[in-house]
Amino acid sequence: MSPLSALSLRLCCHPPGTGVMPNKETEFLLVQIFGRKSYPMLKFVRMKLWFSRFKNINPFPVPRDLPKDPVDLAVLGLRHIEPDLSARVTVYQTASSKDSTGTADPTQQHIVGIQSPDQQAALARHNPARPIFVEGPFSLWLRDRCVYYHILRADLVPPEEREVEEIPEEWNLYYPIQLDLKYGRGGWDDYEFDIDEVEEGPVFAMCMAGAHDQATLAKWIQGLQETNPALAQIPVIFRLTGSSGELLASSSGLEEPSPPPPQEQEEEEDHTQRQQQGQS
Amino acid sequence: MALVHKLLNGSYILRKGLKPSVAACPFLSTRSADYCSSSLQKPVATPGKASTQRTAAGGLQEDQREVSFDKAIKDEIKEHFRRLKDEIVNHWIGPEGRPLQEIILEQARVVWQFRGKEDLDKWIVTSDKTIGGKSEVFLKMGKNNQSALLYGTLSSAAPQDGENSQSGYCAMISRIPRGAFERKKSYDWSQFNTLYLRVRGDGRPWMVNIREDTDIIQKTNQMYSYFMFTRGGPYWQEVKIPFSKFFFSNQGRIRDAQFQLLLDKISSIGFTLADKVDGPFFLEIDFIGVFADPAHTEEFAYENSPVLNPRLFK
Repeated sequence: MSPLSALSLRLCCHPPGTGVMPNKETEFLLVQIFGRKSYPMLKFVRMKLWFSRFKNINPFPVPRDLPKDPVDLAVLGLRHIEPDLSARVTVYQTASSKDSTGTADPTQQHIVGIQSPDQQAALARHNPARPIFVEGPFSLWLRDRCVYYHILRADLVPPEEREVEEIPEEWNLYYPIQLDLKYGRGGWDDYEFDIDEVEEGPVFAMCMAGAHDQATLAKWIQGLQETNPALAQIPVIFRLTGSSGELLASSSGLEEPSPPPPQEQEEEEDHTQRQQQGQS
Repeated sequence: MALVHKLLNGSYILRKGLKPSVAACPFLSTRSADYCSSSLQKPVATPGKASTQRTAAGGLQEDQREVSFDKAIKDEIKEHFRRLKDEIVNHWIGPEGRPLQEIILEQARVVWQFRGKEDLDKWIVTSDKTIGGKSEVFLKMGKNNQSALLYGTLSSAAPQDGENSQSGYCAMISRIPRGAFERKKSYDWSQFNTLYLRVRGDGRPWMVNIREDTDIIQKTNQMYSYFMFTRGGPYWQEVKIPFSKFFFSNQGRIRDAQFQLLLDKISSIGFTLADKVDGPFFLEIDFIGVFADPAHTEEFAYENSPVLNPRLFK
């Protein structure tokens, strides 16, 4: 292999990371310079083949040009992680613009939240005696940008206290309310795995904020209270890692009795601290 | 293999010298991830008493170390004979110790689960530190001992050794299942056709690699891979990858002659992260299973092209 073709091969090697597809002009140039049966041409054919095979295999594609505005990026990120398409994104606060002198930091950080109607209903049904937790921050990578989100969730209800919802049968005669289609072809089919899956408490809402401290998140909770009036009665515990640790805050200034002791720490505590240091 | 390891390590304590553990592994290749490198947080297992005792009396030291060395050897031998006995007894019950009708009718099998520390011992964690890079990766049990958390930092700063121009990868590979006397065993997944993973990631694309049993020596550098895209977010994600989608690669390069992954002798599975984006990452895995998807009828997803491989089409 001549040095020229080796160099051209190495140049062709760079595209695998960027997702660039080789095109007709490159092919024409390569044929003119190296010939149809040369190694660069072979590499070109291989690149065309494999890149076209892997172009659309990502089930959760992220657009190549990420928005610069942090609010837009937060909206994109929240829509990315929430599988429910009927969820509503609310921008509680946009980042205030910098002063003309450019010295001071923005006084308020952006807060963007997302909640789906199912989550709203679940929060309305939630028992006020059990506290709910604001956990975070968790990292989400969109291509090469990392954003952090917080979630509002409750602990798992022990099986004794779980109430089973009974749907009355056939209140709608036009189509069935409950459709129990089994995947198997017969009684002998069993596609279930012989393991108890990890069960975690329900998630009620998610948000992405510019700052990870309790003040910003408290503003998010207050914003959430407008759409979820039941939230006012429920004690909210902030389980923030990397900042002030465990703190109890009750929403809307209601006097709550002494809080239950923190049960378990977030296991991602260690690495989120590292993330906080590693985040630019 | 571990016996040889213990022998070598035991002998170096007696000689009071230090031999790197790399010397104990005959097949260490720079390009493909190696099974012999111990995980970054678990040190080499030496007889416990020997390493902690630093008495002044040299003779007493030698005796105590020798006693524990013998004990370790005896324990190891007993363990191997127990495994041999289990194997012989299990042969009468059925394949892998379960009755035959259970194996034949099985349509979904959990292969690796993460419910305790002993489940973590079945995995090896590597990063580009072996070639001099700066990525770190750790594996520990997740919340409530119900999942495994693989976390760390990826750094694509190339090692300045004049040989590697790119760097930045982290991998978690399962150990090859061993039978009595450290014979290599393999998994037989011929009745299944889809790999099922319940994971929770952070949006990074991972690569799943499957290696076949290395009774043919060329297979040590061959593997079948596919991509696993994580969504990120607090919800658990089910990833189903049919085995027909895995493409073949040898020595780290995708080859022109592609063939489907044959499932009768699988030796290990691995997850690699090498997406050239620096920063922290994590991946929580609940369990890994295989199941037979009746809706998936594809045998192999990639056809060979006559341009790249004219010999196949003569």
